[in-house]
Amino acid sequence: MRKRSPLPLTAAATLVALVAGVAWAQARIDARLGSFRAQDEVLYLWSGEHVRRLVPGFEALAADLYWLRTVQYFGGQRLFSRNKRFELLRPLIEITVALDPRLEIAYRYGAVFLSESPPVGAGRPREGVTVLEEGTKALPGSWRLRQDLGFFHFLYLRDAETASRILMEAAEIPGAAFWLRSLAADILGKSGDRESARRMWRQMHEQAEEGILKANAAVQLQILDALDQADRLTAAAAAFERHAGHRAGSLAELRASVLARGPVVDPAGVPFQYDVVTGRVSVSRASPLWRPGWGPPEGGR
Amino acid sequence: MTRILAVAANTFRETVRERVLYNLVFFAILMTLAGLLVRQLSIRQDEKIIKDIGLASMELFGTLIAVFIGVGLVSKEIERRSLFPLLAKPLGRGEFFLGKFLGLAFTLLVNTGVMTAGLYLTLGATGAPLDAGLLRAIYPILLSLLLVVAVAMFFSTVTSSALAAVCTVGVVVGGRYADVIRNMREVLPSAPPWVVSALYNAVPNFRNFDFKDRVVYGDPVPGDVLLWVTLYAVLYVGLVLLGGLLVFRQRDFQ
Repeated sequence: MRKRSPLPLTAAATLVALVAGVAWAQARIDARLGSFRAQDEVLYLWSGEHVRRLVPGFEALAADLYWLRTVQYFGGQRLFSRNKRFELLRPLIEITVALDPRLEIAYRYGAVFLSESPPVGAGRPREGVTVLEEGTKALPGSWRLRQDLGFFHFLYLRDAETASRILMEAAEIPGAAFWLRSLAADILGKSGDRESARRMWRQMHEQAEEGILKANAAVQLQILDALDQADRLTAAAAAFERHAGHRAGSLAELRASVLARGPVVDPAGVPFQYDVVTGRVSVSRASPLWRPGWGPPEGGR
Repeated sequence: MTRILAVAANTFRETVRERVLYNLVFFAILMTLAGLLVRQLSIRQDEKIIKDIGLASMELFGTLIAVFIGVGLVSKEIERRSLFPLLAKPLGRGEFFLGKFLGLAFTLLVNTGVMTAGLYLTLGATGAPLDAGLLRAIYPILLSLLLVVAVAMFFSTVTSSALAAVCTVGVVVGGRYADVIRNMREVLPSAPPWVVSALYNAVPNFRNFDFKDRVVYGDPVPGDVLLWVTLYAVLYVGLVLLGGLLVFRQRDFQ
C-alpha cells in the first residue's frame, strides 16, 4: 500500500477557516435569535403533561434539562438576572415539575421569583402560592415546602391567619423544625409584622444552599433593616421638628443634628430619600432594596 | 465533476432501492391517518396537530434515514470490497466521498419533497389552508438532514457502522441541547469562557434548524435568519466532510 502524505497545508488552512466560519455564523444566529431561545420556546408547548408524553422513560432527564434552563435564564449563582420575561417562569416550572414532581427546589425557586416584585420577580404572589400548593400536594411529607407556603401567605399575601394554620400543619409533619409552632402562634394577628417577617426570611436564608435563593433571602433581610432605619430616621425628623420648631430641610441637616444617629444610607449604600413636605424618610427608588408599593411621593429629597 | 456526479447518481439509485420508499409510504399513511384521526378527536386544533405531526415526522424519519443510510455509504463499500475496483478506476477518494454525500443529499431532497407533498395533501384533504409558510420550517429541516449525513459519513470513516450510528445519534441529540452548554456560565461562573465557547462550537447546534413551533403558530421566520442558518449548515457540512475526507484519504484498506 502506498504511504499517504501528512495533512496538506491547504487542507489544514481550510479546516481552520471553516472552524472560524462556523463559530462566526453561530454567533450571528445567536445575536439574531437570542441565546435563550430554548427557554422562549416553552410558550409554544401546551403543558408539562404534553412534554411528559413526548419523553416516556426519560422524564427525570428531561426535568433536569428544563430545570437547568430555568436556572440559566432566571439566575443561578448570579444574583437576579435582569430583563427577563417572567411569563416564561410559570411554564418552565410547570414543565419541570410535571416531569419530576419531586424536584422540591423547583417549587421553592418558582414561588420566590413569581412572588417577588419587579424587577427581581414577576410580582404575582398568588401564582407563587399556587406553585407552592402544587408542591405540597406532590410532596406531602416535605415540611419545608409547607413552611414556605405559610411564609408566603404571611409575607406576600399578608394573611396571618392562613399562614399560622399552615405553619401548624407543617409542624405536624415528622422531622419538622421545633420553632414552627411558636412562630405560628406569634404571627396570628400580626399581618405585615416586620419582626415575624425577619424570622421567616432568616429561616429561609439558613435553609437555602449557596445561590440565588440564599441571596434573595439576604436581600430581604437587608430590606427589613432598611425599613427599620428609615423609620428611625423619620422619628428623628419628627424630633428635630419638635426641637427646632421647623422641619429639617434635608437629610444632611438632620444628620448634622445629634438626633439622627447612624448612617443615612441604606444597607446597599444608597442614601435614603427624604420628603421635606411630610418629613418622611424612605428607601430611595435608586436603591436595589426599593420595592414598589412603598415609594414616597414625588418631590422627596 | 462528472465523476462525482456519476457516483452521486449511482448512490441515489442505490439508496432508493434501500427501502427508503417504504419509509415514505409509511410516512404518508401515518400522516393521512393522523390527520383523519385528529379531525375526529381534537377541538378546532386539527390543522395545528397535522402540521406538528407532519413536521416532526419529517425531521424524525429524515434523521433516521440520514443516520442509517449515511453510516453505510462508505463502510458498506469497504465491507463488500466493492470500493477497491472503484478506486482502481480513475476515481479519486475525494470524488468518491463527495459523490456519496451528494447522492444521499439528493435522496433526502426527494424524500423531503415527497413528505412535504404528503403534508400538504393531508392539509388539503382536511380542508385546512395550504400554508406556504411551512416551507420556512421544512427548508431548515433539510439543512439539518444534510448535516446529519455529513456527521454520519465522518464517523463511518473512523469506526464501524454500528458505532458510527450510535455516535451520530449521540451528536444529533447532544446538538439539540447545545444551548445548555452555551449558557453554562450562568450556573457555573468559574468556567473559563473559552472552554465554554470551544465546547459550544464543537457540537453542531441542531436547534439552529428548528423553526417548527414558530411556523405552526404563524410567527415570522426572518429571511436573514434563514440565510445565516444556511451559511452555518454549509460551513459545518464543509468542515465535517473535509475532516471525514482527510481521514478517508489516510485509511489503509487491507
